[in-house]
Amino acid sequence: MKKKMNRYLVVGLIITGIILAITLIGVFWTPYSPTAMKYGRFQPPSPSHIFGTDNFGRDIFSRVLKGTGTTLSIALATVAIGAVAGTTIGAVTGYFGGVIDELLMRLNDVLTAFPSILLALLIISLVGPGKKYNVVLALGLIFIPSFARVTRTAFASLRDMNYITSARLMGAGSGRILFVHMLPNVLRILLPAITIGFNNAVLAEASMSFLGIGVTPPDASLGYMLSEAQGMLKAGPWYAIFTGLSIILLVFGVGLIGEGLQAENREVV
Amino acid sequence: MMKYVLKRIGMLVVTMLLVSFLTFLAFELISGDPARSMLGTNAPSYQVDALRHELGLDQPFFLRYFKWLTGFFSGDLGISYSYRQPVWDLIGSKLMITILLSLISFALIVIISIPMGIFSYQWGGGPFEWIRTSFNQLCMAIPPFFTGILLSYVFGILFRVFSPGDFPDLYEEPGAAFLHLFFGAICLSIPRIAMTTRMMRSTIVSEMNKAYVRTAISRGNDRRSVLVTHVLKNSLTSVVSFLGQTMAEILAATIVVEQVLGIPGLGRFLVLSIAQRDYPVVQAIVVILAFWVVLAGTLADLINQSIDPRLRLGGDLA
Repeated sequence: MKKKMNRYLVVGLIITGIILAITLIGVFWTPYSPTAMKYGRFQPPSPSHIFGTDNFGRDIFSRVLKGTGTTLSIALATVAIGAVAGTTIGAVTGYFGGVIDELLMRLNDVLTAFPSILLALLIISLVGPGKKYNVVLALGLIFIPSFARVTRTAFASLRDMNYITSARLMGAGSGRILFVHMLPNVLRILLPAITIGFNNAVLAEASMSFLGIGVTPPDASLGYMLSEAQGMLKAGPWYAIFTGLSIILLVFGVGLIGEGLQAENREVV
Repeated sequence: MMKYVLKRIGMLVVTMLLVSFLTFLAFELISGDPARSMLGTNAPSYQVDALRHELGLDQPFFLRYFKWLTGFFSGDLGISYSYRQPVWDLIGSKLMITILLSLISFALIVIISIPMGIFSYQWGGGPFEWIRTSFNQLCMAIPPFFTGILLSYVFGILFRVFSPGDFPDLYEEPGAAFLHLFFGAICLSIPRIAMTTRMMRSTIVSEMNKAYVRTAISRGNDRRSVLVTHVLKNSLTSVVSFLGQTMAEILAATIVVEQVLGIPGLGRFLVLSIAQRDYPVVQAIVVILAFWVVLAGTLADLINQSIDPRLRLGGDLA
């Protein structure tokens, strides 16, 4: 049976794919050096510098390429920590229930009382600001509870299904049941959650670097560049505009993928 | 009814106690020796001991927590390390500004997204559905601080409607201050409006598929009157819970937006105090913000149970 094409998924994958490809190229090659200060101050966008230059005479397109790379890698690492740890916790609590479940869910309630950036700020002031892996650690930790909550519900709803009971009767171990039998069915819920988590991670990293407590030079991220660009708004507004648009495009692309995945789910149901 | 309210308030108190205890504990771990860091490494140790005694740091942990907690509720938030002034005197006016900023944003979200959600259900679907959905996703992707930068460029630098970074006095120029806050609220609310609209719409869609709607329609009501008389009321509970969580996210976003537009609120002061390692101030602001979030969640629950009596029995929404 031929299915109707999922427009959101396709467009989202195309946008994200293009960004990924360009960023990957940016890791090895940029049109100009992102840190060299010799291309003339505040050049407006032109064919030779398509995003213009900043107050130090740096090529903004090359900087955006590098910055997107930093932002992407932090967001991916964050989501990886959040999804793996969160899903493991969700699997154990959802499947076994009991006292641990009760305790972790209460802890979850308390943690949700802290706005996410606030929690990240707290962790950063605990482990020390400025380091890239500290940002990943702080963001990764605050993303665990939301993944745990989402997957816990999914695992709990599968627990009493017949195929799980039959697997148990056939002598399958808990680990096998959780990760071989249940996980594929949880993915339906986990994948859209990952896209949402990724976008939140991009925005959270950008906010933190913007506040000056995330990534600091020489590792420029898009958020840090925006805070830099804010100071040059009068003379070179294109710096802020192109950097901001890059964030929006990145989040928009992944958002469309999430939308597409959810649409797939609705068709299955 | 009364029993439910009391139970919910009891939960509120327990959560707040836990939140304040965790925060206090966290700062106990972070702050190291504040007396030493205030006086510098060269200060003689008897001075450090004297200051430690003055700040009450030589007392046992639980006693200090208890004192801090009772102080918190009687308006005594401790003394700022950097300013050597009572914390409350420093943050009182800033708290007011942040409250105003988030209330204006919240009002914008409620006023715009609830009707939009209903309209997008009524006139949704059709060949242009994907444009609407994509636009919605696009709005969600706009970070508040980027909107802030754009607004301060267009309205601050080009048109000079307001001056970002130079916040007018709230009491001397309330009009100008309100305008400044309004720009901040626009930044905060754009992505939230998109999310709430989407949430409202999908709630209505799932309600419209329920049996009672089919019954009502089979008795001869048209879809629109069923939507107005039955479905909206049933959709409201999910939206109220969602808005309760939105309050937390607005607060988190005020931290950044205040920084961009130079609004002297709690968030901006928080970032400054973290940089200065002024822990009594940071601690007070964190607990105030967290209490606020818990309070918003409780209020949302209380409103919901007055809308939907089934919730009073402690059951989930079926």
